[in-house]
Amino acid sequence: MKGIADITVALKKNSRPFVSVFGFVFAVCALSVAQAPPQVHLDAEGLAPRPIEELTGTTIARHYALAWRDLAGALDSNNARGLGEEFVGFAKDRLAKRIAQQSQSGLHVRIVDHGHQLKALFYSTDGASMQLVDHAQLEIQTYDGSKLIDTQNTPHEYMILMTPGADRWYVRDLEEVSAKP
Amino acid sequence: MMRVTTMFLIMTRTRSGSFYGRARLLAVAALCFCFLPIFASAADLHPPATVEAGQAFSIPVQGSGEATFYLVGPDHIVKRTVKLGGDLEIQSGEVSSAGRYQAILCDSSCTFASFQVNAAQPAHLSFFLHPSRVPVSTPNSIDATAFVFDRYFNLVLTPAVVDFRITPASGAGFSQRVPTHHGVAWMRTSSTAHEGRVQVTAVVGSVEEARVVQQVAAEACRLNVRAVPSGKMIALETDPVRDCSGNALPDGTVVSFTTIDSAGKSTVDTPIKKGIARTEISVHGRAHVSVACGVIEGNEIAVNGRL
Repeated sequence: MKGIADITVALKKNSRPFVSVFGFVFAVCALSVAQAPPQVHLDAEGLAPRPIEELTGTTIARHYALAWRDLAGALDSNNARGLGEEFVGFAKDRLAKRIAQQSQSGLHVRIVDHGHQLKALFYSTDGASMQLVDHAQLEIQTYDGSKLIDTQNTPHEYMILMTPGADRWYVRDLEEVSAKP
Repeated sequence: MMRVTTMFLIMTRTRSGSFYGRARLLAVAALCFCFLPIFASAADLHPPATVEAGQAFSIPVQGSGEATFYLVGPDHIVKRTVKLGGDLEIQSGEVSSAGRYQAILCDSSCTFASFQVNAAQPAHLSFFLHPSRVPVSTPNSIDATAFVFDRYFNLVLTPAVVDFRITPASGAGFSQRVPTHHGVAWMRTSSTAHEGRVQVTAVVGSVEEARVVQQVAAEACRLNVRAVPSGKMIALETDPVRDCSGNALPDGTVVSFTTIDSAGKSTVDTPIKKGIARTEISVHGRAHVSVACGVIEGNEIAVNGRL
């Protein structure tokens, strides 16, 4: 929101009202697109030992997408608070530790997210945990300061453990595994 | 560079006969030699393809001079200046989290290599037993799920066998060996015939985690009521309320007595105390009394009431 406010202040200096309004709308849209969660498609066919309810599937996909949006923002800004409320447990601890060390080293990581194909592997009978595998298309750019030192544009595969909370599904564990080509 | 210069000299002898041509080629060779360090890339990195979590290792690096080494992992970032021409030592604590790591070496340009850190041996079990209370003799009513982690709490994805050992309060125990799939093993079993505490222990290697499920009496079985005169009232009393396996239903379980007489129908709910449900009713004329507990109906009796 600070970004929007800055742009608005800058546009107020412009004498042409039409241009100002257009610019403001454009800025809001641009920032919204930048913060939009990535595409997540969940495949829960043949899930065992408990089948998934449709609403649960929708909720999981939505919160997993939000988790990646928050993760990308936090790794880029080196702000652990940006991880939001989608991560708990090991996943949150590890990411917070990584962000702190990134910040110390002067590194930051930009993720261009091209979407996730989630496959549900295990859903416990009591509904307390779900294991999924994510085939993600990510472009991961590593910067030292403003210098780009590495770009990875390969398929990534993650093993995920999600658990339900009062109003959402949390990412409790997120581990990258060797992606199959 | 010696090889390059020699090659140019050979070329000058074979292709260029003149002194000037030879000199020109030598000049080009010298120019290449001068600019080589500018366009040189960082030394190649060849880490092992996979590493076990928490295992120190080294990456040999060729070349000379200094470069900046980066290690980018799931929860660990390393940035340090290293001397080329030796081994890059990766400490055990720098690769304790399973996942994909990027090793990046930069001098005038950067080279990178990635490697996979896999979980170490099983060291922790995250074990869930559901439900906490279960009626006796109920098929497939107990679920056990175990997630296998290593000592750094990485999910162990290599197959392991989890031994679920079931130990009832009475009777012989038994076990089920279940292989993990993506680090998870689960099993489902039936409750045994006798109420009491059942311990389920998940075991993988030397790691054990125990949980307890309380088996309670199932629905009442052969519910029987009898009427006893009690002053101007009639006392209704059940036999000891038990399930079909002979387990006493717990005190507090509600038993309903229903009376139908000339005044209509009335129901009294009363909890079991010391294994028996008891109440007193007044009836008008001839009455029918029935008893029920949960979904189970007991016998029906006819009584002659007193006004």
